[in-house]
Amino acid sequence: MNQFELIYGKSEELRLFPHIIEFGMVKNSSIGQNKLPKSSANGVKFFYVSEGKFQWDIHNSKYTLYPGDLAVILPGQEFGSCHDVLEIGSFTWIHIHAQQRGMEEIALDAWSSLSENELLLISKILLLNSPLVIANFNDGGKILKCIQQELFGQEVGHYTRVNNQIDELFILIARQLTRQTNPGRDFSKIFMKLEEALRRDLSHQWTVEEMAALVGLGTTLFNNKVKSYSGFSPLNYLINIRISEAIKLLKKKDVSITDIALDIGFYSSQHFSTTFKKLIGYTPREYRKNNSYNE
Amino acid sequence: MKCIITIELGTNAVRIFAFDLNGSVIGKLQGYYPTFHSQPDYSEQDPDQIFITMLYVLKNLLNEKIHPKKYKVASVCFSSSMHSMLAVDKNGIPLGNAFTWADNRAKKEAIDAQKTALADSLHNSTGTPLHPMSPMLKIAWMKNNDTQNFKLADKFLSIKSYVIHQLTGEYMIDYSLACATGMLNIHKIDWDGQALAFAGITREKLPQLVPVFANAGNLKKSYQNSLGLNGETKILIGSSDGCMATLGAGIWKTDKATITVEDSSAVRVVGNKMLHDEKNRVFNYLITENFFVSGGPSNSGGGIFEWFAKQFGDFTAAYDTESCMNSLLQEAAKVKTGSEGLLFLPYLLGERAPIWNPDARGMYFGINIKHERQHFIRATIEGIFYEIYSIGKMLNEHRSISALSVNGSFATIPFCSQIIADMFNKPVHVTKNANSVSMGAFLLAATEMGVIKSLDDAASRTEIAQSYSPNENNHHSYMKYFEIFESLTNKLGDEFAKIAELQ
Repeated sequence: MNQFELIYGKSEELRLFPHIIEFGMVKNSSIGQNKLPKSSANGVKFFYVSEGKFQWDIHNSKYTLYPGDLAVILPGQEFGSCHDVLEIGSFTWIHIHAQQRGMEEIALDAWSSLSENELLLISKILLLNSPLVIANFNDGGKILKCIQQELFGQEVGHYTRVNNQIDELFILIARQLTRQTNPGRDFSKIFMKLEEALRRDLSHQWTVEEMAALVGLGTTLFNNKVKSYSGFSPLNYLINIRISEAIKLLKKKDVSITDIALDIGFYSSQHFSTTFKKLIGYTPREYRKNNSYNE
Repeated sequence: MKCIITIELGTNAVRIFAFDLNGSVIGKLQGYYPTFHSQPDYSEQDPDQIFITMLYVLKNLLNEKIHPKKYKVASVCFSSSMHSMLAVDKNGIPLGNAFTWADNRAKKEAIDAQKTALADSLHNSTGTPLHPMSPMLKIAWMKNNDTQNFKLADKFLSIKSYVIHQLTGEYMIDYSLACATGMLNIHKIDWDGQALAFAGITREKLPQLVPVFANAGNLKKSYQNSLGLNGETKILIGSSDGCMATLGAGIWKTDKATITVEDSSAVRVVGNKMLHDEKNRVFNYLITENFFVSGGPSNSGGGIFEWFAKQFGDFTAAYDTESCMNSLLQEAAKVKTGSEGLLFLPYLLGERAPIWNPDARGMYFGINIKHERQHFIRATIEGIFYEIYSIGKMLNEHRSISALSVNGSFATIPFCSQIIADMFNKPVHVTKNANSVSMGAFLLAATEMGVIKSLDDAASRTEIAQSYSPNENNHHSYMKYFEIFESLTNKLGDEFAKIAELQ
């Protein structure tokens, strides 16, 4: 297979695809200086290694990639080869225009047919696992190959198929990540991972579907597993963590009750107040009054 | 109709039971809380999360099972896992997370203490071994390594004391849990001056000492409202999980021992004198002025078998360690007693009694070319019980034991109960109520109410569901292997230290 490099604005093949900033394949037959200098991504980049062995620096972590491995570079992350040397071998890369909104969302443009919720969930999974390299991800290689054929073939429907393939790439990566991080045998470990994710992002309005997807389980199985493991439904377990945080924060005078409510994931201070009172017997305001100290 | 509620603040979960006054379970619920391991040797829990989980589960149980049937809650009796330590400031606000019993960061403090002349005198006065689990050493660790929080600390509590303080505003600890701090002089039933000096604190920094029957204050008005309880419900301080498991297992006569095997294990005996072990290997916990629960704890147990299952089990049915463990047990049952010469040392987590060596490590010994997968399965289980037998043997130096009561999820598996009977060559009884911690707490509360005359009387009330008789032949072959088990353990001291250093 021959090397190629398509750049939007220069290459005719990408005329219909403003969201594909670059797409190419490199076959490097001699070790070269400065062929892949460190740069920061203004979208999402995927690098798939098909031959050789590469040492790359992703977001300040060093990785060694072998054939079949896929590296994903998220918006704002730095990427480049270690020691400014590009090793012998070949890889394919694609650079998709995307923005990171806030802590947890990667936004794609209108070409993508991923639903808003699914894209949010996929972003969450990617960001949670970043910087990320997926080993033995041949499916990624197949998708890039297919995109290449579609772009060069220009047959009818190629616009839709290319875009679908990019969506497909995001979906498969997210699925692979949830599977990969879950050995499947040990629900206690899976649960711990969930606990950490929930605590890290307590202000988010978590849904059961999101939590289930995060640990790579279907919703029904997830519900049953959490219930039998923790004694609580997933949403009640979450309320548990929220109220535990609330009583810590309420003892600190400087945070307003509305801020606490939003910080720990209640959609209003009213909602916070009712839920809190059901369990504690006092509203957050009363609780603070009874537990306030001068210093 | 009156009922009694028992709350066990366990290692991984709060378990709440409701009993009628005859001791029948009328409802139970549990809720999990996580343990955080931010660094090796660290094992922490969020005290507020434990409190909220407890409150949530209690509220659900009351709303589902108690209030609809118009039961009147006479008392709520607490028990908890031992050796937890939580520092709070002068406003009662936690200074970080609680250290659980499994927190080993005070290793150095333990080694330092063992080297001093203090070691023997501390064991004599407090009855507990010097081990990083001890809150005395955890406080000393804080003094040496977290000066800022040590200075801010107004009280050093157990998790149970913290939860009770949330509910009633009182700072209290019962004698039995206080024994587990390593700072209670069990002869004087008061904080031990030497121990406090070692920890670097004064008695004002500890909660008030009270008997296990003590009323732990009145439930705050707000919780009366949210839980639907009134001021007449007594909050009983209760005891530790270990002591309650012993009471609930009906072990109250000096010729009996109780064996608890959950993730970890303990062998315990009860008597009216403490056991003086010249090697300081046993713990002695005081329940009331007349009763000591003495014994030895082990890090081995169901947790080790679970490790084996996770590594080598068949997981075609995903996510289910339990069914995997069951099929392993079936395979193990096909192998002869003694696993045809394959021996396992279960010290994957280091070991407490009887060797008290945190550096001890596991091994398979005697592997030959004929050994198959199922031999390893059986050997793993047998190794766990050889270890438990070795604690029993140690206790036998002090008390003669004629019968055993077993409880805990791993020990009550019939295959395992039979192994215990055969190894010890003694009849083994399994009590009717599988959760003997809750049963014990019920018996304590019922005794406090006067429904039962005394704790002696209470212990004799437990019903036996199943008994196992020892098989003499199996006993003899187990003993041949145990001899090797014991001598290997003793011989490997240096190698354990060296390999642990490398890990």
